[in-house]
Amino acid sequence: MRRASGKGDLMTDKLILYKEHLNSFLRKITKGFELIAPVRNTYGDTLFEVISSVDDVSIDLTNRPILSPKRFFMPQVETLFAYRYDKSGYTFKDAADSTPRVIFGLRSCDTRGILFYDLIFQEGLKDKYYLDRRKDTILINLGCNQPGENCFCKSAQSGPFLTYGYDIQLTDLGDRFFVETGRPRGRELLAGWSYFFRPATQTDIDEQYEVVLESEGKFRHRLDFDAAIDKLINQEVAPAIWEELGNRCQNCGGCAYVCPTCYCFNIFDSPGSEKEGERLRTWDACTFAGFSRLAGGYNPRQDKTQRIKRRFYHKLFYDKQKYNIPSCVGCGRCADICFGRIDMLSFIRLICEQENKVSEPAHRKLGELLLDAGLISQKDLDLAIEKQAATGHATGRFAVAKKPLGAQLVEMGMVNKEAIARTLGYQLKIPGTAENVED
Amino acid sequence: MNNNIYLPQLAVIKDIKEETGDIKTFTLAFKDRKFKKSFSFRPGQFMMVSVFQAGEVPISISSSPAQPGILQLSIKKAGSLTGKIHGHKVGDEIGVRGPYGRSFPVERLIGKNLLFVAGGIGLAPLRSLINYVLDKRTEFGRVTILHGARTPSDIPFKHELSRWPKERDAKVLVTVDRPDSRWRGSVGPVTTLWNKADVSGQDTLAIICGPPVMISFVVMDLLKMGFSEDDIISTLERHMKCGVGKCGHCSIGHQLTCVDGPVFTYREMKKLPTDL
Amino acid sequence: MHSILTTCPFCACGCGLYLHVENERIVGVTPSKKHPISRGNLCVKGWNSIEYVRHAERLREPLIRKNGKLVKTGWDQALKRISHELLRIKKKYGGESIGILSSAKCTNEENYLLMKLGRAILKTNNLDHCARLCHSPSVLGLTNAFGSGAMTNSISDLAGAEVILVTGSNTTEQHPQIARFIFEALDKEAKLIVIDPRRIELSKFAHIYLRPRLGTDVIWLNGMMKIILDEGLVDDSFIKMRTENFSEFRKFLARFDLGQVEAISGISLEDLRQAAKMYAGVKRAIIIYSMGITQHVSGTDNVESIANLAMMTGHVEQEITGVFPLRGQNNVQGACDMGALPGMLSGYQRVDDPAVLDKFSRAWNTDLPTAPGLSSMDMLHETGRIKGMFIMGENSMLSHPDMKNVRTSLENLDFLAVADIFLTETAEVADVVLPAAAFAEKDGTVTSTERRIQRMRKAVPPVHLSKPDWQIIIELARHMGYPMDYESPAEVMEEIALLTPIYGGVYYDRLETVQGLQWPCPDRNHPGTPYLHKKSFARGKGLFSCIAYRPPDESPDKEYPFALTTGRVYEHWHTGSMTRRISILKRECPEGFIEISTEDARALGIINGEPVKVISLRGEVVTRARLVESLPAKTLFMPFHFREAPANVLTNNAVDPQARIPELKICAVRLEKVT
Repeated sequence: MRRASGKGDLMTDKLILYKEHLNSFLRKITKGFELIAPVRNTYGDTLFEVISSVDDVSIDLTNRPILSPKRFFMPQVETLFAYRYDKSGYTFKDAADSTPRVIFGLRSCDTRGILFYDLIFQEGLKDKYYLDRRKDTILINLGCNQPGENCFCKSAQSGPFLTYGYDIQLTDLGDRFFVETGRPRGRELLAGWSYFFRPATQTDIDEQYEVVLESEGKFRHRLDFDAAIDKLINQEVAPAIWEELGNRCQNCGGCAYVCPTCYCFNIFDSPGSEKEGERLRTWDACTFAGFSRLAGGYNPRQDKTQRIKRRFYHKLFYDKQKYNIPSCVGCGRCADICFGRIDMLSFIRLICEQENKVSEPAHRKLGELLLDAGLISQKDLDLAIEKQAATGHATGRFAVAKKPLGAQLVEMGMVNKEAIARTLGYQLKIPGTAENVED
Repeated sequence: MNNNIYLPQLAVIKDIKEETGDIKTFTLAFKDRKFKKSFSFRPGQFMMVSVFQAGEVPISISSSPAQPGILQLSIKKAGSLTGKIHGHKVGDEIGVRGPYGRSFPVERLIGKNLLFVAGGIGLAPLRSLINYVLDKRTEFGRVTILHGARTPSDIPFKHELSRWPKERDAKVLVTVDRPDSRWRGSVGPVTTLWNKADVSGQDTLAIICGPPVMISFVVMDLLKMGFSEDDIISTLERHMKCGVGKCGHCSIGHQLTCVDGPVFTYREMKKLPTDL
Repeated sequence: MHSILTTCPFCACGCGLYLHVENERIVGVTPSKKHPISRGNLCVKGWNSIEYVRHAERLREPLIRKNGKLVKTGWDQALKRISHELLRIKKKYGGESIGILSSAKCTNEENYLLMKLGRAILKTNNLDHCARLCHSPSVLGLTNAFGSGAMTNSISDLAGAEVILVTGSNTTEQHPQIARFIFEALDKEAKLIVIDPRRIELSKFAHIYLRPRLGTDVIWLNGMMKIILDEGLVDDSFIKMRTENFSEFRKFLARFDLGQVEAISGISLEDLRQAAKMYAGVKRAIIIYSMGITQHVSGTDNVESIANLAMMTGHVEQEITGVFPLRGQNNVQGACDMGALPGMLSGYQRVDDPAVLDKFSRAWNTDLPTAPGLSSMDMLHETGRIKGMFIMGENSMLSHPDMKNVRTSLENLDFLAVADIFLTETAEVADVVLPAAAFAEKDGTVTSTERRIQRMRKAVPPVHLSKPDWQIIIELARHMGYPMDYESPAEVMEEIALLTPIYGGVYYDRLETVQGLQWPCPDRNHPGTPYLHKKSFARGKGLFSCIAYRPPDESPDKEYPFALTTGRVYEHWHTGSMTRRISILKRECPEGFIEISTEDARALGIINGEPVKVISLRGEVVTRARLVESLPAKTLFMPFHFREAPANVLTNNAVDPQARIPELKICAVRLEKVT
């Protein structure tokens, strides 16, 4: 790793960088590192880009980049190694990338996303490709003064400011940045160019604290992750909701692709010619049917409903169980882009806010809805519930769940599937993401 | 290169044995001497097998770790990839990495009576354990092996199935779903062998491997016979890509089949949300 | 690593996406967030659109047939051969013996150049492309009624609609981004009517779902209009001010017998009445339709009926109300705009209009053929008339109906040249095959279903010796002795703008935005047109046509008791040459299948996943049965993407007499178990 050439001493781990010096500082960074920062392009989009010349781009510290910087650590398409076959057998060429990098202007959610990746790729057997790219990367986090429309990092306990995990953290104080150094390499980086910084005064420190407090009050969405997780643990989310979510899912994979913590990948071979090729890995998504399908055709998560359920259980409950934190950092990207609004924001609001509608047992609910809609008679319903009670038995792993009331009604010819879907579709409306928001 | 968990080791196919019409046992030898020396595994573990240009597939090791230097994989033709493996000849090179996964709890078996129940290709991972056990025969109690196959010609490891009772004091019972005219053995699912097998839950560990439906029926019967949930040990099969706990494909609940499994006790399995 | 904005190569939603490039390789995709359609997300195809670009089976070098086999050759030899053969055929049999298929997958510039090559050099109007198979009835029907065959409004208008009527479009699977706007409308309390023989995913969200029998659209449309008339829900002032021939149409409807609606279409009159009231009862209503409407012998009739319905309720000519024919390919709109059509030059200027001919002859410095040419259906389904063909980026062998017949036609040609990115089933029978560049390897423009002209930008160099089609055409023209001196697609567009009024203001410097330009854009200062027919229809007054019901060409009978309808699946694109080479998509949907209702399957003893043989008058195919709840009895569905189970072996090549579109949506088949 190339280090900064200048030698200097930092008197403290709380510093001030005047904004007029930012470009000069970044320009220095580009001399020793690959600099990555959010850039607003001529089309109006903001993306994390590699910056070769600081003065030729418009660094955007206002808008959240479309994707998190995860693609710099695990590209969407990545060559693991090339193989070639000749007379002496197979030979491999290992791909490696350990360019020293500085990522500037990450938001807390994205920094937390990378920290989650660190966890995954370091635990157990180590993932060389990820760690090679990661080990010489310095993260300069920018705390959020102004959360975006769909942001909920505070609820996810991953922002708007970080208390750990960053190498350097900046706070925008108007004409200057308040600079905190976290991990040693952050401090080392700044030490190289100490002349850009002055030690923070008590006034700066107080002002920064004010900014933190103020920004924490600016969130439009406050989600109760614990309550949501409890509902998952206690299986209090009605099957009808899962069904509706499954129907609304368009199977695009976008939620996983834009998520800063989704790490699932596929591995496959891409032949180059008869004798050579590459083993690639690409981003994958648990919402795809082929993700869990076995070679023989059996699929433990055959239905879209099951896969959507898996996604939320995984990100909220299972990761909390395993790593003590849910793998949602509250960046709100999925909420920005989901075709059917089956995103984390809508989901948690749906299961937590529509308390009355969804907490009752689903079969009761469905029965009443169908009654209200005049699609079945009370007599039919009673009969179906009686029959339904006789289905299913509980013996552990091979337990057969009680047949859903809907299925029972359909089987008995009392109502058709579409009527059920339609009835549920209207009644269990997913709350809006942008409108009707109350704190 | 050893620090790269995705890079396979090259192995040469030393021998191919056709077990049945669609199962072949491949005997492999690693090319890298150092790796060959350091390679060790435990019964129940699996390898990720590479067919370059086609990809990788997880395959259980079917040989016994008590025979050092030998690595055998018994592979059933199930999809295009396993089909391609079947197309290989002696002397061909393939890639393998591993061993991966949690093995059978070998230490727990010592001193116990052992009941092995296998369906179809499920006998492959059990063969690894059975041979290990039989190689150290005195350390274990009674050994009973039940196997169910579709037809008589679908029975793999025929030679060993007949050798085990003779040479190693193991009781072996085989049944088929569809007999041919010359079949004189049992007919029906593997559970039809209970009477002949004469097993009880007393001091016995049951190790089961086969299709999910078979496992579920066998488990139900064993529980009735008084086996405790901890003494029933089985394996789960899931779609796998990396084999090392990263790619997420084989997840069940908060666990990963490739790292936390594929071997689970029934008590553990029961807790797994198998469709989540 | 750097990022290049381009346009998705699959459907006509026209999403904007960035390709991330490292060391001349594409390593990722990011959807544009500012783009009016992609808005930060793509469908599964768009997200995974990059893998096929570097696929090992990409054509590496030109191929030429020697001793019956395609062998490698150089560019010069290949182009010389094509030039020589086509000019020879032209000399011997005349330009009208040459057929040219352009491509809805290629850019506007490429379509324009190929159209120019065909007309100016080879003197043929036998020019067509796959719009023939998808929206030729829209081009014709909507031009008859409104004066323009394109989608009347912008996609985003959907979000503001009060009622959306979707018929013959499996929108969630085929135009996912458009479905996203429908969901938005639903969340704002819009009402949704779905009318489709298949209970498509969208029907789960429909307030009214109606299931007509295959090929009975004119019946329910006329029935609906009669109800609207009877209920007094017509928009009189609109009709009076903006349309003509309504009095005739009123008389026609008066004679229409509502009694036949249920008998023929299977839709109950009461249900239809509900739908009619819902559609006619609001101000802002939109009709979405696609190939379920057009791929019939009555395709043009169906489209004109839809136009009648929209006009009589005043649901056209405004923002957020209109008729949305959803185009399929990323540039099928553009290929039509560019005149890859037998009767029209670019911008729908007729080949038999002397003023138009004069303009183009002068610009191109040569004389041009005046009689409208043959459609692709006529070129590929009748042997003898066409002697030589040049096909750019189309896989007609798999996409056209009655595959056997197409094969015979292609094999009987004196000469066939194909330019494509893979050795498609069509390229396999060619005499010369040219390796073309893929979408990420070239510059150009494409036009989406909402008439949005957008840039396609080169992110990586073409693989191996492949070249962009525009370069191929230029070089071919030079070999034929006609100079084409364009340095770049931008220069081609300058010529297009000069000769094509609706593209008159389209210049590359104006396209350096995320939203491009929507035509008509007549001059440099014109901002483009989000919705058509403002204040008056393109043809002046909207024309009502009296449309009588025409039954399908082929109906099930004793021997062939099932009606087979064909279409596409979400994960794959047309003949699969791209999507079946993308690992995630291949994994999601690995192989072909035929859908059958659970009841029919039970009656035949067919179980899910079992191989079955499907037999029609024209051929037979073995594929796997997929048991579904979404089909009515005696109706089967089969996607046409799969070369090993090609649905189009079975389909009927009977055509709509006006638009020449084949009836891909219904043919009669019989099903057998494979033992």
